Amino acid sequence: MATKASRSAARVMIAPSVLLLLGWMVIPLALTLYFSVLRYNLLMPGANPFIGVENYTYFLTDPAFTDAIINTLLLVGGVLTITVLGGIGLAILLDQPMWGQGIVRILVIAPFFVMPTVSALVWKNMFMNPVNGLFAHLASALGMQPFDFFAIAPLASIIGIVSWQWLPFATLILLTAMQSLDSEQLEAAEMDGAGPLARFRYIMLPHMARAITVVILIQTIFLLSIFAEILVTTNGGPGTASTNLTFLVYAESLLRFDVGTGSAGGVVAIILANIVAIFLMRMIGKNLDT
Amino acid sequence: MGRITLHGVTKNFGDTEVIRPLDLEIEDGEFVVFVGPSGCGKSTLLRLIAGLEDVTAGRIEIDGVDATGVPPAKRGLAMVFQSYALYPHMSVRKNIAFPMRMAGLDKAEQNRRIESAAAALNLTDYLDRRPGQLSGGQRQRVAIGRAIVREPAAFLFDEPLSNLDAALRVGMRMEISELHTRLKTTMVYVTHDQVEAMTMADKIVVLQHGVIEQVGSPLDLYREPRNLFVAGFIGSPKMNLMTGEEAERRQAATMGIRPEHITASPTEGLWQGTVGVSEHLGSDTFFHVHLDGRADPVTVRAGGEVSLHHGDMIYLTPDESRIHRFDAQGMRLA
Repeated sequence: MATKASRSAARVMIAPSVLLLLGWMVIPLALTLYFSVLRYNLLMPGANPFIGVENYTYFLTDPAFTDAIINTLLLVGGVLTITVLGGIGLAILLDQPMWGQGIVRILVIAPFFVMPTVSALVWKNMFMNPVNGLFAHLASALGMQPFDFFAIAPLASIIGIVSWQWLPFATLILLTAMQSLDSEQLEAAEMDGAGPLARFRYIMLPHMARAITVVILIQTIFLLSIFAEILVTTNGGPGTASTNLTFLVYAESLLRFDVGTGSAGGVVAIILANIVAIFLMRMIGKNLDT
Repeated sequence: MGRITLHGVTKNFGDTEVIRPLDLEIEDGEFVVFVGPSGCGKSTLLRLIAGLEDVTAGRIEIDGVDATGVPPAKRGLAMVFQSYALYPHMSVRKNIAFPMRMAGLDKAEQNRRIESAAAALNLTDYLDRRPGQLSGGQRQRVAIGRAIVREPAAFLFDEPLSNLDAALRVGMRMEISELHTRLKTTMVYVTHDQVEAMTMADKIVVLQHGVIEQVGSPLDLYREPRNLFVAGFIGSPKMNLMTGEEAERRQAATMGIRPEHITASPTEGLWQGTVGVSEHLGSDTFFHVHLDGRADPVTVRAGGEVSLHHGDMIYLTPDESRIHRFDAQGMRLA
């Protein structure tokens, strides 16, 4: 891309894909914005008059909205905590030389390839079911009362399922980071009198900082829009105990057929996601520099 | 104090014997260089002394105390690695402070030692930079600084200059030698470069296939190589080794003569040959001479400004008193 001619040629070449991507993004966004200021309910066909911010007021003052926000943050925060801590631990374990390393690594990564709906169903019916689930059998074998996961701790159960899905991703990224650590650095630290804990604290953790940042940023994007697991297991209930923002938007537009309020919720979700993103970049984005 | 003694030290990796049973005495304050071709076990030997590898058999004593099972940090040795192994996320100051921080030294003492090490190594202006912002030579000095502040019983260097360019290498060689004169601490230095070994060492240990071939001062090794391997390894350019008739005339299986102990003349001499490639270094000139009826060329050192050209006829005369004779097993004949 050195000469003026090649630069302008390059611009012409990438123009179609830029336009396509732009249309792909801008048209749905514009339509959502447009719908969000209309009274537009599929159960009441007819005119769709302009009503200003009424949809937004309705959505934001809905008591379910506050619950959804709290649940979203708990879900994202809980899964991030579990996957990052567990990922660091697993990465360090898997980095040790051991017999059958290749197979173990593939096994660890496997959950990531299971579709969200499938894994949620498997967890719901095979593990967490209070009658037939493995955990229930285990509990009765030990003479305890089976625990009804989705009735008593619906959000925690979903956090568990989602963590199980995302732990492999965190492990994979952090494992590659561990493998790129120069072993002479660890040996130098050992010679310098650093014990295993100090080596972890002063050498491994700083080395993995950038990978941890990447894991947190990427996971946050996906975790903000968790949907399938909730739909399959609890349907957002009991009440709103496991409803997150995505599920609330779904409930508004597709269960109550209120396209206008659903769109308003979608816009609110976009704004919230961006706020979270800005905070994240402020807090940990500096790790990505240098 | 830093006297290191190895008794019958052996190291196996699986079935491969990397170090055969080996005894070695390193005196306090000595500059010892382990030298040998790559894969000869010299780095492994250093790592055994450091404690980064466990010995398979044998005993390592530091200052008369058995240190075989002692963890690396407790041996009182400091190591400078080939890749420098600086901590990239810490400033130079924090890098140098790290071993003292681990030892729990108080801040004032830490700062005092950092300042004096930085002054000695010309690092004062760089203390707040990260290793990534330093040049190769500066990184090398930081690594040395990190070793100095621990005030160790001995320094271990693992090919510390191999990542530097030629000019810098000569400079750092001098600096390390000066450091040794000033600190008078034992230093063990591993290199594959015989020039580094010759210029820096009090005592050279030549290794091959995990066996010590010879131990001695640089000039001992130069004057009296114990066997063919040492003869070929020490000295630059290499000693000329000849077998066949010439050697037999001197009652040896192989005879060796260094390039600097052959006189070249355009008119008369013992051996006759033609000049091949010549390397003009200014101070010296090295001729590769093809002797009649001999496949390998003989290297000859001549004065700096001798003008002989490719294809010229030349006569060579070896200095008979400087000829090295070896038996069929490659051992030196008295």
